[in-house]
Amino acid sequence: MKLKDKVLIVEDEQSIGNFMSTVLEANGFDTLRAATGAQARSLITSHCPDLIILDLGLPDMDGLEILREVRAWSSLPVIVVSARTHEHDKVRALDMGADDYVEKPFGTSELLARIRTAIRHTRTSVGNADLAQTGKYRIGALTIDYDKHHVLVDGEDTHLTLNEYKIVALLGKYAGKVLTYDYLIREIWGPMAKADNQILRVNMANIRRKIEKNPAAPQYIFTEIGVGYRMLGTE
Amino acid sequence: MKQREWKSPRREWRIADAALTVGVLSAAAVLRLLLYRADPGDGYVGLLFVLAVACVARWTKGYFWGIFASIFGVACVNYVFTYPYWQLNFTMTGYPLTFLTMLAVSLMISAMTTQIKKQEQMRRETEKETMRANLLRAMSHDIRTPLTSIVGNTAAILENPDAFTPQQQRALLLDVNEDAQWLIRMVENLLSITRISDEPGGIEKEYEAAEEVVAEAVRKFSKRFAQPAVSVQVPDEVLMVPMDATLICQVLMNLLENAAIHADGATGIRVDVHRTGDMACFSVSDDGCGIPPEKLETLFDGTLPDAQRGASDTKKNMGIGLSVCRTIVAAHGGTMSAENLPQGGACLRFTLPMKEEEDVEAEG
Repeated sequence: MKLKDKVLIVEDEQSIGNFMSTVLEANGFDTLRAATGAQARSLITSHCPDLIILDLGLPDMDGLEILREVRAWSSLPVIVVSARTHEHDKVRALDMGADDYVEKPFGTSELLARIRTAIRHTRTSVGNADLAQTGKYRIGALTIDYDKHHVLVDGEDTHLTLNEYKIVALLGKYAGKVLTYDYLIREIWGPMAKADNQILRVNMANIRRKIEKNPAAPQYIFTEIGVGYRMLGTE
Repeated sequence: MKQREWKSPRREWRIADAALTVGVLSAAAVLRLLLYRADPGDGYVGLLFVLAVACVARWTKGYFWGIFASIFGVACVNYVFTYPYWQLNFTMTGYPLTFLTMLAVSLMISAMTTQIKKQEQMRRETEKETMRANLLRAMSHDIRTPLTSIVGNTAAILENPDAFTPQQQRALLLDVNEDAQWLIRMVENLLSITRISDEPGGIEKEYEAAEEVVAEAVRKFSKRFAQPAVSVQVPDEVLMVPMDATLICQVLMNLLENAAIHADGATGIRVDVHRTGDMACFSVSDDGCGIPPEKLETLFDGTLPDAQRGASDTKKNMGIGLSVCRTIVAAHGGTMSAENLPQGGACLRFTLPMKEEEDVEAEG
Protein backbone atom coordinates (compact mmCIF):
# COMPACT_ATOMS: atom_id res chain seq x y z
CA MET A 1 0.00 0.00 0.00
CA LYS A 2 1.21 3.46 -0.87
CA LEU A 3 2.15 5.58 2.08
CA LYS A 4 -0.07 8.66 2.31
CA ASP A 5 1.40 12.13 2.43
CA LYS A 6 0.52 14.00 5.60
CA VAL A 7 -0.68 17.58 5.16
CA LEU A 8 -1.02 20.02 8.04
CA ILE A 9 -3.77 22.57 7.46
CA VAL A 10 -3.27 25.72 9.50
CA GLU A 11 -6.48 27.67 9.10
CA ASP A 12 -8.61 29.42 11.70
CA GLU A 13 -11.81 29.48 9.63
CA GLN A 14 -13.59 26.27 10.52
CA SER A 15 -15.52 25.99 7.25
CA ILE A 16 -12.51 26.50 5.01
CA GLY A 17 -10.48 24.04 7.07
CA ASN A 18 -13.28 21.48 6.78
CA PHE A 19 -13.52 21.91 3.06
CA MET A 20 -9.77 21.59 2.57
CA SER A 21 -9.39 18.50 4.72
CA THR A 22 -12.38 16.80 3.06
CA VAL A 23 -10.99 17.44 -0.39
CA LEU A 24 -7.47 16.36 0.54
CA GLU A 25 -8.63 13.14 2.22
CA ALA A 26 -10.78 12.31 -0.78
CA ASN A 27 -7.65 12.69 -2.89
CA GLY A 28 -5.40 10.37 -0.91
CA PHE A 29 -3.79 12.61 1.69
CA ASP A 30 -3.76 12.36 5.47
CA THR A 31 -4.65 15.64 7.12
CA LEU A 32 -3.96 17.35 10.43
CA ARG A 33 -5.72 20.50 11.53
CA ALA A 34 -4.53 23.49 13.51
CA ALA A 35 -6.62 26.57 14.16
CA THR A 36 -3.97 28.67 15.91
CA GLY A 37 -0.28 29.38 15.50
CA ALA A 38 0.54 27.73 18.83
CA GLN A 39 -1.29 24.55 17.82
CA ALA A 40 0.49 24.57 14.47
CA ARG A 41 3.86 24.83 16.18
CA SER A 42 3.34 21.80 18.34
CA LEU A 43 1.85 19.72 15.50
CA ILE A 44 4.75 20.56 13.20
CA THR A 45 7.34 19.36 15.69
CA SER A 46 5.38 16.32 16.90
CA HIS A 47 4.02 15.01 13.58
CA CYS A 48 6.54 16.20 10.98
CA PRO A 49 4.00 16.67 8.17
CA ASP A 50 5.00 16.34 4.51
CA LEU A 51 3.49 19.69 3.65
CA ILE A 52 1.95 22.67 5.42
CA ILE A 53 -0.93 24.75 4.13
CA LEU A 54 -0.60 27.99 6.01
CA ASP A 55 -3.19 30.72 6.30
CA LEU A 56 -1.45 34.03 6.99
CA GLY A 57 -4.21 35.56 9.10
CA LEU A 58 -4.14 33.57 12.34
CA PRO A 59 -5.81 34.73 15.55
CA ASP A 60 -2.74 34.50 17.78
CA MET A 61 0.14 35.41 15.48
CA ASP A 62 1.21 36.34 11.97
CA GLY A 63 1.41 33.24 9.78
CA LEU A 64 4.74 34.48 8.44
CA GLU A 65 6.16 33.93 11.92
CA ILE A 66 5.47 30.19 11.59
CA LEU A 67 7.03 30.20 8.15
CA ARG A 68 10.17 31.83 9.52
CA GLU A 69 10.44 29.29 12.35
CA VAL A 70 9.97 26.34 9.99
CA ARG A 71 12.50 27.67 7.50
CA ALA A 72 15.06 28.00 10.30
CA TRP A 73 15.40 24.23 10.50
CA SER A 74 13.69 22.61 7.56
CA SER A 75 12.84 22.91 3.87
CA LEU A 76 9.53 21.13 4.26
CA PRO A 77 7.13 22.53 1.67
CA VAL A 78 4.83 25.35 2.76
CA ILE A 79 1.93 26.68 0.70
CA VAL A 80 0.62 30.00 1.85
CA VAL A 81 -3.08 30.82 1.63
CA SER A 82 -3.75 34.53 1.36
CA ALA A 83 -6.81 36.66 1.00
CA ARG A 84 -6.39 39.01 -1.89
CA THR A 85 -5.08 42.13 -0.26
CA HIS A 86 -1.86 43.19 -1.86
CA GLU A 87 0.79 41.53 -3.98
CA HIS A 88 3.42 42.61 -1.47
CA ASP A 89 2.19 40.02 1.04
CA LYS A 90 2.54 37.17 -1.42
CA VAL A 91 5.94 38.34 -2.58
CA ARG A 92 7.08 38.62 1.02
CA ALA A 93 5.89 35.11 1.84
CA LEU A 94 7.59 33.70 -1.27
CA ASP A 95 10.82 35.54 -0.55
CA MET A 96 10.74 34.23 3.00
CA GLY A 97 10.77 30.70 1.65
CA ALA A 98 7.16 29.73 1.02
CA ASP A 99 7.01 27.24 -1.85
CA ASP A 100 3.85 28.61 -3.37
CA TYR A 101 0.67 30.49 -2.61
CA VAL A 102 -3.00 30.14 -3.38
CA GLU A 103 -5.30 33.07 -3.30
CA LYS A 104 -8.64 32.97 -1.55
CA PRO A 105 -11.07 32.10 -3.01
CA PHE A 106 -9.42 29.10 -4.67
CA GLY A 107 -10.73 26.01 -6.43
CA THR A 108 -10.01 22.45 -5.34
CA SER A 109 -8.19 21.49 -8.53
CA GLU A 110 -5.88 24.46 -8.16
CA LEU A 111 -5.13 23.61 -4.54
CA LEU A 112 -4.39 19.95 -5.35
CA ALA A 113 -2.13 20.89 -8.27
CA ARG A 114 -0.12 23.25 -6.09
CA ILE A 115 0.24 20.65 -3.35
CA ARG A 116 1.47 17.97 -5.76
CA THR A 117 3.94 20.34 -7.37
CA ALA A 118 5.33 21.46 -4.02
CA ILE A 119 5.75 17.90 -2.73
CA ARG A 120 7.36 16.73 -5.94
CA HIS A 121 9.82 19.59 -5.90
CA THR A 122 11.10 18.87 -2.44
CA ARG A 123 11.45 15.19 -3.39
CA THR A 124 13.41 15.80 -6.57
CA SER A 125 15.45 18.95 -6.35
CA VAL A 126 16.27 19.62 -2.72
CA GLY A 127 19.52 18.04 -1.68
CA ASN A 128 20.67 17.40 -5.22
CA ALA A 129 20.15 20.80 -6.79
CA ASP A 130 23.01 20.26 -9.25
CA LEU A 131 21.51 17.09 -10.58
CA ALA A 132 18.32 18.89 -11.44
CA GLN A 133 20.29 21.22 -13.68
CA THR A 134 21.35 18.43 -16.05
CA GLY A 135 19.26 16.38 -18.42
CA LYS A 136 16.21 17.67 -20.18
CA TYR A 137 12.89 19.19 -19.21
CA ARG A 138 10.09 18.52 -21.67
CA ILE A 139 6.65 20.08 -21.57
CA GLY A 140 4.40 20.15 -24.63
CA ALA A 141 6.52 20.98 -27.66
CA LEU A 142 9.11 22.73 -25.48
CA THR A 143 12.39 21.10 -24.49
CA ILE A 144 15.01 22.64 -22.25
CA ASP A 145 18.32 20.87 -22.80
CA TYR A 146 20.37 21.58 -19.70
CA ASP A 147 23.47 19.82 -21.04
CA LYS A 148 23.71 21.75 -24.29
CA HIS A 149 22.15 24.97 -22.96
CA HIS A 150 19.52 24.96 -25.68
CA VAL A 151 15.81 25.55 -25.64
CA LEU A 152 13.95 23.80 -28.44
CA VAL A 153 10.40 24.20 -29.68
CA ASP A 154 9.20 21.39 -31.97
CA GLY A 155 12.81 20.29 -32.20
CA GLU A 156 13.97 23.67 -33.53
CA ASP A 157 16.54 25.76 -31.67
CA THR A 158 14.99 28.99 -30.45
CA HIS A 159 18.28 30.95 -30.40
CA LEU A 160 17.90 32.41 -26.93
CA THR A 161 20.63 34.72 -25.69
CA LEU A 162 22.59 33.63 -22.62
CA ASN A 163 20.45 35.57 -20.15
CA GLU A 164 17.26 34.48 -21.84
CA TYR A 165 18.40 30.87 -21.58
CA LYS A 166 19.24 31.33 -17.90
CA ILE A 167 15.76 32.65 -17.18
CA VAL A 168 14.03 29.81 -19.02
CA ALA A 169 16.34 27.22 -17.44
CA LEU A 170 15.59 28.53 -13.95
CA LEU A 171 11.84 28.60 -14.54
CA GLY A 172 12.07 25.07 -15.96
CA LYS A 173 13.99 23.84 -12.95
CA TYR A 174 11.16 24.99 -10.72
CA ALA A 175 8.40 24.30 -13.26
CA GLY A 176 4.95 24.73 -11.76
CA LYS A 177 6.27 27.05 -9.10
CA VAL A 178 6.07 30.82 -9.16
CA LEU A 179 9.43 32.61 -9.03
CA THR A 180 9.35 36.22 -7.88
CA TYR A 181 10.80 39.06 -9.96
CA ASP A 182 13.40 39.78 -7.31
CA TYR A 183 14.48 36.15 -7.11
CA LEU A 184 14.91 35.94 -10.89
CA ILE A 185 16.84 39.20 -11.04
CA ARG A 186 19.14 38.11 -8.20
CA GLU A 187 19.77 34.71 -9.79
CA ILE A 188 20.44 36.02 -13.30
CA TRP A 189 22.09 39.40 -12.78
CA GLY A 190 23.57 38.84 -9.35
CA PRO A 191 22.87 40.32 -5.93
CA MET A 192 24.26 43.72 -6.90
CA ALA A 193 21.75 44.20 -9.72
CA LYS A 194 19.37 47.09 -9.32
CA ALA A 195 15.93 45.95 -8.23
CA ASP A 196 14.52 47.07 -11.54
CA ASN A 197 11.93 44.89 -13.21
CA GLN A 198 12.26 46.57 -16.60
CA ILE A 199 15.20 44.55 -17.85
CA LEU A 200 13.54 41.32 -16.77
CA ARG A 201 10.28 42.31 -18.52
CA VAL A 202 12.11 43.07 -21.75
CA ASN A 203 14.02 39.77 -21.65
CA MET A 204 10.78 37.98 -20.93
CA ALA A 205 9.03 39.66 -23.85
CA ASN A 206 11.85 38.50 -26.14
CA ILE A 207 11.65 34.97 -24.76
CA ARG A 208 7.92 34.89 -25.41
CA ARG A 209 8.45 35.98 -28.99
CA LYS A 210 10.91 33.14 -29.46
CA ILE A 211 9.15 30.24 -27.73
CA GLU A 212 5.44 31.06 -27.75
CA LYS A 213 3.19 30.93 -30.82
CA ASN A 214 1.32 34.03 -29.66
CA PRO A 215 3.09 36.15 -27.02
CA ALA A 216 -0.25 37.33 -25.66
CA ALA A 217 -1.61 33.80 -25.26
CA PRO A 218 1.38 31.99 -23.74
CA GLN A 219 1.40 28.22 -23.36
CA TYR A 220 4.57 27.75 -21.34
CA ILE A 221 5.45 30.76 -19.21
CA PHE A 222 2.72 32.60 -17.33
CA THR A 223 2.76 35.92 -15.53
CA GLU A 224 1.51 36.19 -11.98
CA ILE A 225 0.71 39.86 -11.85
CA GLY A 226 2.76 41.80 -9.35
CA VAL A 227 4.49 38.61 -8.17
CA GLY A 228 6.56 36.86 -10.82
CA TYR A 229 6.58 34.15 -13.48
CA ARG A 230 5.61 30.50 -13.50
CA MET A 231 6.45 27.82 -16.05
CA LEU A 232 3.88 25.19 -16.89
CA GLY A 233 4.43 22.10 -14.72
CA THR A 234 4.12 18.52 -15.83
CA GLU A 235 0.57 18.09 -14.59
CA MET B 1 11.60 54.24 -2.69
CA LYS B 2 7.91 55.06 -2.93
CA GLN B 3 7.90 56.37 0.62
CA ARG B 4 10.57 58.91 -0.09
CA GLU B 5 8.84 60.12 -3.21
CA TRP B 6 5.76 60.60 -1.10
CA LYS B 7 7.26 62.86 1.48
CA SER B 8 9.01 65.21 -0.88
CA PRO B 9 5.96 67.15 -2.10
CA ARG B 10 5.03 67.98 1.47
CA ARG B 11 8.50 69.26 2.26
CA GLU B 12 8.53 71.20 -0.98
CA TRP B 13 5.31 72.82 0.13
CA ARG B 14 6.83 73.88 3.41
CA ILE B 15 9.83 75.36 1.63
CA ALA B 16 7.51 77.09 -0.82
CA ASP B 17 5.52 78.59 2.06
CA ALA B 18 8.67 79.83 3.76
CA ALA B 19 9.95 81.34 0.52
CA LEU B 20 6.62 83.03 -0.07
CA THR B 21 6.58 84.51 3.43
CA VAL B 22 10.11 85.86 3.12
CA GLY B 23 9.37 87.15 -0.37
CA VAL B 24 6.21 89.02 0.60
CA LEU B 25 7.82 90.53 3.70
CA SER B 26 10.88 91.67 1.76
CA ALA B 27 8.66 93.10 -0.97
CA ALA B 28 6.85 95.10 1.71
CA ALA B 29 10.18 96.30 3.13
CA VAL B 30 11.50 97.26 -0.32
CA LEU B 31 8.25 99.07 -1.08
CA ARG B 32 8.54 100.93 2.20
CA LEU B 33 12.11 101.98 1.35
CA LEU B 34 11.04 103.21 -2.08
CA LEU B 35 8.09 105.11 -0.64
CA TYR B 36 10.33 106.60 2.04
CA ARG B 37 11.94 108.75 -0.66
CA ALA B 38 8.59 110.16 -1.69
CA ASP B 39 7.13 110.44 1.79
CA PRO B 40 9.31 110.12 4.89
CA GLY B 41 6.26 109.90 7.18
CA ASP B 42 5.38 106.53 8.68
CA GLY B 43 1.58 106.57 8.89
CA TYR B 44 1.16 103.97 6.14
CA VAL B 45 3.89 101.58 7.25
CA GLY B 46 1.60 99.64 9.50
CA LEU B 47 -1.03 99.31 6.78
CA LEU B 48 1.60 98.15 4.28
CA PHE B 49 2.67 95.35 6.60
CA VAL B 50 -0.91 94.44 7.44
CA LEU B 51 -1.40 93.94 3.70
CA ALA B 52 1.75 91.81 3.54
CA VAL B 53 0.60 89.73 6.49
CA ALA B 54 -2.84 89.31 4.93
CA CYS B 55 -1.23 88.04 1.73
CA VAL B 56 0.95 85.55 3.61
CA ALA B 57 -1.98 84.29 5.66
CA ARG B 58 -4.07 83.84 2.54
CA TRP B 59 -1.52 81.99 0.42
CA THR B 60 0.23 79.71 2.88
CA LYS B 61 -1.00 76.56 4.57
CA GLY B 62 -2.07 76.53 8.21
CA TYR B 63 -1.61 79.23 10.84
CA PHE B 64 2.13 79.09 11.25
CA TRP B 65 3.37 81.40 8.50
CA GLY B 66 0.62 83.97 9.03
CA ILE B 67 1.45 84.30 12.72
CA PHE B 68 5.13 84.22 11.97
CA ALA B 69 4.71 87.04 9.43
CA SER B 70 2.63 89.17 11.79
CA ILE B 71 5.04 88.85 14.71
CA PHE B 72 8.03 89.36 12.48
CA GLY B 73 6.25 92.25 10.75
CA VAL B 74 5.34 93.92 14.04
CA ALA B 75 8.91 93.60 15.30
CA CYS B 76 10.31 94.77 12.02
CA VAL B 77 8.01 97.78 11.70
CA ASN B 78 8.64 98.79 15.28
CA TYR B 79 12.38 98.29 15.12
CA VAL B 80 13.27 99.56 11.68
CA PHE B 81 10.58 101.56 10.01
CA THR B 82 8.91 103.70 12.65
CA TYR B 83 10.19 106.35 14.97
CA PRO B 84 12.32 105.78 17.04
CA TYR B 85 14.34 103.98 14.36
CA TRP B 86 16.50 100.94 15.20
CA GLN B 87 14.95 100.27 18.59
CA LEU B 88 11.95 98.45 19.93
CA ASN B 89 9.43 100.79 21.51
CA PHE B 90 5.85 99.86 22.23
CA THR B 91 5.12 102.68 24.66
CA MET B 92 4.48 105.66 22.36
CA THR B 93 0.87 106.71 21.90
CA GLY B 94 -1.02 104.69 19.27
CA TYR B 95 1.74 102.17 18.62
CA PRO B 96 0.45 99.32 20.78
CA LEU B 97 -2.92 99.62 19.08
CA THR B 98 -1.37 99.51 15.58
CA PHE B 99 0.62 96.42 16.38
CA LEU B 100 -2.23 94.64 18.08
CA THR B 101 -4.36 95.37 15.02
CA MET B 102 -1.74 93.79 12.75
CA LEU B 103 -1.57 90.68 14.88
CA ALA B 104 -5.34 90.39 15.07
CA VAL B 105 -5.80 90.84 11.30
CA SER B 106 -3.25 88.18 10.48
CA LEU B 107 -4.70 85.73 12.98
CA MET B 108 -8.19 86.25 11.66
CA ILE B 109 -7.22 85.83 8.03
CA SER B 110 -5.12 82.72 8.74
CA ALA B 111 -7.99 81.26 10.70
CA MET B 112 -10.45 82.04 7.94
CA THR B 113 -8.39 80.63 5.09
CA THR B 114 -7.59 77.52 7.07
CA GLN B 115 -11.23 77.10 7.89
CA ILE B 116 -12.29 77.54 4.26
CA LYS B 117 -9.77 74.93 3.19
CA LYS B 118 -11.06 72.58 5.86
CA GLN B 119 -14.65 73.13 4.79
CA GLU B 120 -13.72 72.46 1.19
CA GLN B 121 -12.12 69.21 2.24
CA MET B 122 -15.14 68.28 4.32
CA ARG B 123 -17.44 68.94 1.39
CA ARG B 124 -15.33 66.65 -0.77
CA GLU B 125 -15.37 63.97 1.93
CA THR B 126 -19.15 64.20 2.17
CA GLU B 127 -19.46 63.81 -1.58
CA LYS B 128 -17.26 60.74 -1.46
CA GLU B 129 -19.32 59.40 1.43
CA THR B 130 -22.54 59.88 -0.54
CA MET B 131 -21.04 58.10 -3.54
CA ARG B 132 -19.93 55.26 -1.35
CA ALA B 133 -23.32 55.00 0.31
CA ASN B 134 -25.08 54.87 -3.07
CA LEU B 135 -22.71 52.18 -4.25
CA LEU B 136 -23.22 50.20 -1.06
CA ARG B 137 -26.98 50.37 -1.47
CA ALA B 138 -26.79 49.19 -5.07
CA MET B 139 -24.37 46.42 -4.11
CA SER B 140 -26.37 45.12 -1.18
CA HIS B 141 -29.42 45.00 -3.39
CA ASP B 142 -27.56 43.00 -6.02
CA ILE B 143 -25.87 40.72 -3.52
CA ARG B 144 -29.10 39.65 -1.86
CA THR B 145 -30.38 37.75 -4.90
CA PRO B 146 -27.56 35.20 -5.24
CA LEU B 147 -27.36 34.84 -1.46
CA THR B 148 -31.05 33.96 -1.32
CA SER B 149 -30.55 31.37 -4.01
CA ILE B 150 -27.51 29.87 -2.25
CA VAL B 151 -29.26 29.61 1.09
CA GLY B 152 -32.44 28.29 -0.52
CA ASN B 153 -30.76 25.63 -2.64
CA THR B 154 -28.47 24.32 0.08
CA ALA B 155 -31.27 24.29 2.65
CA ALA B 156 -33.45 22.35 0.21
CA ILE B 157 -30.81 19.63 -0.09
CA LEU B 158 -29.97 19.59 3.63
CA GLU B 159 -33.58 19.42 4.79
CA ASN B 160 -34.82 16.88 2.25
CA PRO B 161 -31.85 14.61 1.67
CA ASP B 162 -33.95 11.90 0.02
CA ALA B 163 -36.35 14.02 -2.00
CA PHE B 164 -33.99 14.75 -4.88
CA THR B 165 -32.41 12.55 -7.46
CA PRO B 166 -28.63 12.93 -7.80
CA GLN B 167 -29.23 14.85 -11.06
CA GLN B 168 -31.56 17.27 -9.30
CA GLN B 169 -29.07 17.74 -6.47
CA ARG B 170 -26.34 18.39 -8.98
CA ALA B 171 -28.47 21.00 -10.72
CA LEU B 172 -29.12 22.76 -7.41
CA LEU B 173 -25.45 22.67 -6.49
CA LEU B 174 -24.47 24.04 -9.91
CA ASP B 175 -26.73 27.00 -9.26
CA VAL B 176 -25.13 27.51 -5.85
CA ASN B 177 -21.70 27.36 -7.41
CA GLU B 178 -22.60 29.84 -10.13
CA ASP B 179 -24.08 32.27 -7.65
CA ALA B 180 -21.05 32.03 -5.42
CA GLN B 181 -18.79 32.70 -8.41
CA TRP B 182 -20.84 35.77 -9.21
CA LEU B 183 -20.42 36.97 -5.62
CA ILE B 184 -16.67 36.49 -5.86
CA ARG B 185 -16.53 38.65 -8.98
CA MET B 186 -18.63 41.29 -7.28
CA VAL B 187 -16.33 41.32 -4.27
CA GLU B 188 -13.27 41.56 -6.50
CA ASN B 189 -14.77 44.67 -8.05
CA LEU B 190 -15.46 46.11 -4.62
CA LEU B 191 -11.87 45.45 -3.59
CA SER B 192 -10.65 47.24 -6.70
CA ILE B 193 -12.59 50.31 -5.67
CA THR B 194 -11.20 50.29 -2.15
CA ARG B 195 -7.76 49.83 -3.65
CA ILE B 196 -8.16 53.07 -5.56
CA SER B 197 -9.47 55.07 -2.62
CA ASP B 198 -6.91 53.60 -0.19
CA GLU B 199 -3.93 54.96 -2.07
CA PRO B 200 -3.38 58.60 -1.19
CA GLY B 201 -2.91 60.67 -4.31
CA GLY B 202 -4.18 58.06 -6.71
CA ILE B 203 -2.81 54.67 -7.59
CA GLU B 204 0.59 53.10 -7.44
CA LYS B 205 1.75 52.73 -11.02
CA GLU B 206 4.60 50.69 -12.41
CA TYR B 207 5.70 50.03 -15.95
CA GLU B 208 4.18 46.72 -17.05
CA ALA B 209 4.23 44.87 -20.35
CA ALA B 210 0.71 45.21 -21.74
CA GLU B 211 0.82 41.72 -23.26
CA GLU B 212 1.48 40.13 -19.86
CA VAL B 213 -1.54 41.78 -18.30
CA VAL B 214 -3.78 40.88 -21.24
CA ALA B 215 -2.55 37.29 -21.23
CA GLU B 216 -3.21 36.98 -17.51
CA ALA B 217 -6.71 38.43 -17.80
CA VAL B 218 -7.56 36.07 -20.66
CA ARG B 219 -6.16 33.10 -18.78
CA LYS B 220 -8.24 33.85 -15.69
CA PHE B 221 -11.30 34.48 -17.81
CA SER B 222 -10.92 31.20 -19.71
CA LYS B 223 -10.75 29.33 -16.41
CA ARG B 224 -14.22 30.59 -15.57
CA PHE B 225 -15.85 30.62 -18.99
CA ALA B 226 -15.28 27.85 -21.51
CA GLN B 227 -17.22 29.80 -24.14
CA PRO B 228 -16.83 31.97 -26.15
CA ALA B 229 -13.25 31.47 -27.31
CA VAL B 230 -10.90 34.43 -26.94
CA SER B 231 -8.30 35.45 -29.50
CA VAL B 232 -5.61 37.95 -28.63
CA GLN B 233 -3.61 40.26 -30.84
CA VAL B 234 -0.62 42.28 -29.60
CA PRO B 235 1.91 44.31 -31.59
CA ASP B 236 5.47 43.10 -32.16
CA GLU B 237 6.75 46.05 -30.18
CA VAL B 238 6.61 45.49 -26.42
CA LEU B 239 4.31 48.12 -24.94
CA MET B 240 5.45 49.13 -21.48
CA VAL B 241 2.58 51.02 -19.88
CA PRO B 242 2.56 52.59 -16.40
CA MET B 243 -0.35 51.02 -14.51
CA ASP B 244 -1.56 49.17 -11.48
CA ALA B 245 -1.58 45.80 -13.24
CA THR B 246 -4.04 44.17 -10.85
CA LEU B 247 -6.59 46.88 -11.54
CA ILE B 248 -6.13 46.84 -15.32
CA CYS B 249 -6.41 43.05 -15.23
CA GLN B 250 -9.73 43.58 -13.44
CA VAL B 251 -10.88 45.98 -16.17
CA LEU B 252 -10.04 43.47 -18.91
CA MET B 253 -11.77 40.66 -17.04
CA ASN B 254 -14.89 42.75 -16.55
CA LEU B 255 -14.97 43.58 -20.26
CA LEU B 256 -14.47 39.93 -21.20
CA GLU B 257 -17.19 38.81 -18.80
CA ASN B 258 -19.47 41.52 -20.05
CA ALA B 259 -19.04 40.14 -23.56
CA ALA B 260 -19.54 36.55 -22.40
CA ILE B 261 -22.72 37.30 -20.47
CA HIS B 262 -24.40 39.96 -22.58
CA ALA B 263 -23.36 39.33 -26.15
CA ASP B 264 -26.01 36.76 -27.06
CA GLY B 265 -24.96 34.59 -29.94
CA ALA B 266 -21.29 35.53 -29.71
CA THR B 267 -18.93 32.83 -30.98
CA GLY B 268 -15.67 34.61 -30.28
CA ILE B 269 -14.16 37.53 -28.37
CA ARG B 270 -11.22 39.43 -29.75
CA VAL B 271 -8.79 41.34 -27.56
CA ASP B 272 -6.54 43.76 -29.34
CA VAL B 273 -3.76 46.02 -28.08
CA HIS B 274 -2.07 48.68 -30.15
CA ARG B 275 -0.32 51.97 -29.81
CA THR B 276 -1.79 55.28 -30.95
CA GLY B 277 0.68 58.10 -30.41
CA ASP B 278 1.35 58.33 -26.68
CA MET B 279 -1.56 56.11 -25.76
CA ALA B 280 -1.85 52.35 -25.45
CA CYS B 281 -5.24 51.34 -26.78
CA PHE B 282 -6.95 48.16 -25.55
CA SER B 283 -10.14 46.86 -27.13
CA VAL B 284 -12.45 43.93 -26.43
CA SER B 285 -14.86 43.13 -29.24
CA ASP B 286 -17.36 40.35 -29.82
CA ASP B 287 -19.56 39.16 -32.66
CA GLY B 288 -22.74 38.99 -30.62
CA CYS B 289 -25.94 40.98 -30.57
CA GLY B 290 -24.41 44.40 -29.90
CA ILE B 291 -25.44 47.00 -27.35
CA PRO B 292 -28.94 48.54 -27.58
CA PRO B 293 -28.43 52.15 -28.69
CA GLU B 294 -30.39 53.57 -25.75
CA LYS B 295 -27.91 51.92 -23.35
CA LEU B 296 -24.76 53.12 -25.10
CA GLU B 297 -25.01 56.57 -23.50
CA THR B 298 -25.13 55.45 -19.89
CA LEU B 299 -23.22 52.20 -20.24
CA PHE B 300 -20.42 53.13 -17.84
CA ASP B 301 -22.49 55.13 -15.35
CA GLY B 302 -23.50 52.17 -13.26
CA THR B 303 -27.06 53.42 -13.38
CA LEU B 304 -29.93 51.87 -15.23
CA PRO B 305 -33.38 53.39 -15.62
CA ASP B 306 -35.55 52.23 -12.71
CA ALA B 307 -37.97 50.40 -14.94
CA GLN B 308 -35.18 48.38 -16.46
CA ARG B 309 -33.52 47.77 -13.16
CA GLY B 310 -36.63 46.29 -11.63
CA ALA B 311 -37.33 44.07 -14.60
CA SER B 312 -33.85 42.88 -15.44
CA ASP B 313 -32.33 39.83 -13.87
CA THR B 314 -29.82 41.28 -11.41
CA LYS B 315 -27.26 38.72 -12.39
CA LYS B 316 -27.29 40.19 -15.85
CA ASN B 317 -26.68 43.66 -14.54
CA MET B 318 -23.09 44.44 -15.40
CA GLY B 319 -23.62 48.11 -14.68
CA ILE B 320 -21.40 48.00 -11.63
CA GLY B 321 -18.64 46.07 -13.38
CA LEU B 322 -18.47 48.59 -16.20
CA SER B 323 -18.59 51.61 -13.91
CA VAL B 324 -15.70 50.08 -11.96
CA CYS B 325 -13.86 49.82 -15.30
CA ARG B 326 -14.40 53.47 -15.96
CA THR B 327 -13.31 54.46 -12.46
CA ILE B 328 -10.08 52.47 -12.79
CA VAL B 329 -9.28 53.75 -16.28
CA ALA B 330 -10.01 57.35 -15.26
CA ALA B 331 -7.71 56.97 -12.26
CA HIS B 332 -4.97 56.03 -14.73
CA GLY B 333 -5.64 59.15 -16.82
CA GLY B 334 -7.20 57.16 -19.66
CA THR B 335 -10.55 57.17 -21.44
CA MET B 336 -13.22 54.60 -22.09
CA SER B 337 -15.66 54.20 -24.96
CA ALA B 338 -18.12 51.74 -26.44
CA GLU B 339 -19.58 51.28 -29.89
CA ASN B 340 -21.40 48.79 -32.07
CA LEU B 341 -19.35 47.41 -34.92
CA PRO B 342 -20.67 47.70 -38.50
CA GLN B 343 -20.28 43.94 -39.00
CA GLY B 344 -22.27 43.30 -35.80
CA GLY B 345 -21.24 42.88 -32.21
CA ALA B 346 -19.96 45.38 -29.67
CA CYS B 347 -16.53 46.84 -29.08
CA LEU B 348 -15.44 48.31 -25.76
CA ARG B 349 -12.23 50.28 -25.75
CA PHE B 350 -10.00 51.96 -23.26
CA THR B 351 -6.76 53.87 -23.53
CA LEU B 352 -3.91 54.37 -21.08
CA PRO B 353 -1.20 57.01 -21.32
CA MET B 354 2.22 55.49 -22.07
CA LYS B 355 4.09 58.12 -20.06
CA GLU B 356 3.83 58.77 -16.37
CA GLU B 357 2.56 62.25 -15.62
CA GLU B 358 4.69 63.33 -12.70
CA ASP B 359 3.00 66.68 -12.13
CA VAL B 360 -0.45 65.16 -11.95
CA GLU B 361 0.73 63.06 -9.05
CA ALA B 362 2.35 66.03 -7.29
CA GLU B 363 -0.90 67.96 -7.40
CA GLY B 364 -2.91 65.11 -5.93
